[in-house]
Amino acid sequence: MFSSLGNPRQAAAQLMNFGLILSTAFMMWKGLSVITDSPSPIVVVLSGSMEPAFQRGDLLLLWNRNLMADTSVGEIVVYNVKGKDIPIVHRVVRKFGEGPHAKLLTKGDNNVADDTELYARGQDYLDRTDIIGSVVGYLPFVGYVTIMLSEHPWMKTAMLGIMGLVVVLQRE
Amino acid sequence: MYSSIVRLQNTFGFFTTVTFFIAFVISLSDFFSVRTPSVGVLKTTNLQVVRGRPHYYSSKKEEYAIIKFSLDADLSSLFTWNTKQLFVYVTAEWPSAGSQNATNSAVIWDSIITAPSSDHLATIGPIALKKLKKSAGGKPIDPSRGKLSLKNQRPKYQITHPSGQLASQEDVQLKLHYNVQPWVGILTWNQDQDWWNWKALKNGLSKKFRLPALKKKDEGKKKTASTGNRS
Repeated sequence: MFSSLGNPRQAAAQLMNFGLILSTAFMMWKGLSVITDSPSPIVVVLSGSMEPAFQRGDLLLLWNRNLMADTSVGEIVVYNVKGKDIPIVHRVVRKFGEGPHAKLLTKGDNNVADDTELYARGQDYLDRTDIIGSVVGYLPFVGYVTIMLSEHPWMKTAMLGIMGLVVVLQRE
Repeated sequence: MYSSIVRLQNTFGFFTTVTFFIAFVISLSDFFSVRTPSVGVLKTTNLQVVRGRPHYYSSKKEEYAIIKFSLDADLSSLFTWNTKQLFVYVTAEWPSAGSQNATNSAVIWDSIITAPSSDHLATIGPIALKKLKKSAGGKPIDPSRGKLSLKNQRPKYQITHPSGQLASQEDVQLKLHYNVQPWVGILTWNQDQDWWNWKALKNGLSKKFRLPALKKKDEGKKKTASTGNRS
């Protein structure tokens, strides 16, 4: 026990290893961000407004480039409303005009009314710049861990505790 | 080296590797299934333009188009073992005044068709759910759900334009679209061209039509209430 603490060379190597894992994960995330041109290329579904297509905890892969066509009606987009920091995943149901200044209206498949109420005060339509990506890929349930962790903060503490214990108890 | 923690880690690692591999194979299988969607009929049956307000407290008056239509389509080939739901929608599309290219499009009707494997997720009442489950007859895949036949269907959404003007609009066209939602993998929409096993959705456009002029005032007033917040 505490064997690694006794040997500074080994401790440094372990620290290095840990840093490498962290930076690799960070680079992959940012690399994906560059490829998809989206600040957040993978999002977790937080609400049931797109049921039965998406449940809470499902993982979505986004694409934010208009290589061949405009973002058009029928696409499921993730957008941010000015002044609110929760991204919303809904379907585009109306589009007026073309290009970067097209006016877009969204609606959740499971909602009765469109999203006019969700937008900022005085905002009737979304701009292309409000959108951080269109959903292209789907992986069910995997993101549920993040919902659990944010809804039950004690789990975060417990997880950190277990991880710390493993590191300390692990014999190399 | 072979502590129980390492064993647990290895087991979990192997489990996730296998799970992701299976998910990947399932998502690839989509490309090998043949899709031959077809449309028999897509036409308007009744056109109406009325004046109304976007919501109860608004003083703004806008013109709303109520487009009734008939649709006959066979989308049954889109149901495979990886289909979770099919989202079918009909849009009305029309050019902008002034510029030739800019188009407007708005969904006038949509429908969620769940595959029997995702019936339990459908957001409908318990009685409707029981009926829906029974309709599959115990089959995990039920292609017959992809056969659509609508006669003189009322639109779900009464559409308008940011300018508030829609009456007498020329060159309006209805278009059928679909979005296949998989259990895992990529989301797909209807195509205009063939892609290997997936055939284009042909004949999915209606004839171009002209929206009628505004209805007389007294008739318009009666409709105001029903336009509500469903715009």
